[in-house]
Amino acid sequence: MTRRRIVLALVACVVGVGAVAAWQRIQDLSLETQATNPIVRWEWVFLREDTPAELWEATLQHLQLTLMAVGIGFVLASVLAAVALRFRWTFPPITAFTGFLYTVPSVALFGILVTYYSNTEAALIALVSYTLLILVRNIVAGIAGVPRAVVDAADGLGMSRVRRLLTVELPLAVPVIVAGLRVATVTTVGLVGITAIIQLGGLGSLIFEGFNSQYYTKMVVGSALSVGLAVALDLLFSRAEIALTPWARRRAS
Amino acid sequence: MTLAMLLAADDPTSLIEWLTDSATRVRSGSIPEQAWTTVWHAMAALAVVVATMVPLAVVLAHHRKAELVSTWLVNIGRAVPTVTVVGLLVIVSLRNGLGFEPWPILIALVLLALPPVFTNTYTGVRGVDPGAVDAARAMGLSTTGVMTRVELPLALPLILGGVRTAAVQLLATEPIAAFFGGTGLGLYLYLGLAEDDVYQVQAGAVLVCAVALTADLLLALLSRVLVPRGLRIGAARPGDASRSRRRPDAPPAAATAAAS
Repeated sequence: MTRRRIVLALVACVVGVGAVAAWQRIQDLSLETQATNPIVRWEWVFLREDTPAELWEATLQHLQLTLMAVGIGFVLASVLAAVALRFRWTFPPITAFTGFLYTVPSVALFGILVTYYSNTEAALIALVSYTLLILVRNIVAGIAGVPRAVVDAADGLGMSRVRRLLTVELPLAVPVIVAGLRVATVTTVGLVGITAIIQLGGLGSLIFEGFNSQYYTKMVVGSALSVGLAVALDLLFSRAEIALTPWARRRAS
Repeated sequence: MTLAMLLAADDPTSLIEWLTDSATRVRSGSIPEQAWTTVWHAMAALAVVVATMVPLAVVLAHHRKAELVSTWLVNIGRAVPTVTVVGLLVIVSLRNGLGFEPWPILIALVLLALPPVFTNTYTGVRGVDPGAVDAARAMGLSTTGVMTRVELPLALPLILGGVRTAAVQLLATEPIAAFFGGTGLGLYLYLGLAEDDVYQVQAGAVLVCAVALTADLLLALLSRVLVPRGLRIGAARPGDASRSRRRPDAPPAAATAAAS
């Protein structure tokens, strides 16, 4: 299953690069365009000395913002989910609130927060608030979806509430929770790109810089790396899920 | 314009003043004008997507023909950042002499709205009780009749959910166009951030939020009106009781797609 995904991801990459190359070829057919400004200057990507360091730095910043946002979001979401599970009546207001946060347009949220906080703080607050809805919903759904009989059996064994949660309910909820984490992470990778409007953005800043200086190679490379980062993180989480739930694999095979 | 007015124009003292004093917006256009640009871009894209994708998804779902495509669409849509799509489309458009607006942003928005609308329609029709379809057939409905008079209405809550998600996403994303040479409400954010004009940034943010939340509200009302009472999401259906005892009502996963 996972091997198929990796193959699919590779195929997608090859198709993507091929599409860009073909597109460039079509654009370059016009001699005028070729003389002035080709879309991808491969020499910038492969031969320029500073390129690897610049790309690495941008990717690292992108990754850092993404992981910090998802990490903080996960901690906050766990607390909210715990409250929602312990006191059932709080679940609708919590989803309503996180749902509202999710509806606020990201450009607007970055814009308004940056007038009150520093750029990094503004970006993190906004990014974290976008992860909450998905994470809270999946944590709650995962734990509430544990079969009644399993919970009863744990109670019958005399487990305390905390022990039941940690040793029975959480492990069984892992697939649903990881599914939430994956969606949140991939979404956040995309949103981090937009933080370029407040001078952050990692790979997103490459896209905006490239556009403003009409150096389109930067845009194409920034976009490709951003998609690649999203796919890589998604794969990483799916591997982690397999590692965390060995029984699922045993049952499947 | 007198000197005093010009000075006032450059230096509003509060957000309210920025919003009410039109002299401050000589460079970035009037609020109704920019709001209309944003709204028509989103509405046009949504109209195109709904008009093409809903029938397509209904037919495909009726024949169970696109099982993988519907999940792939959402995943791909999530992984490809909109900034990328808008930016690259603007370049293509400029190279072909079509200008900054409106084609690039319209196409980008159409692509953005595809996954939620298609997948929600598909999932909705897929989830229609097979018994209802069989009953309709037994009563002599043609395939078209089954699709338009049974499957479509029964899938309506999910379809409208997808349209609502898409609409909010479109209105939230359209402002990006201003960062790539376009206009619309995003222009206040773009110019405000570029010129370090706090009130303009805040005003832009408030306006973008207001438009998106208004659309969300209007579409929620619309689905209240259009969806028959027995079909509302969360309405108790026979057979659901045993499953949902320990599970708080969570909307179907397909109902929400990526924020933007």
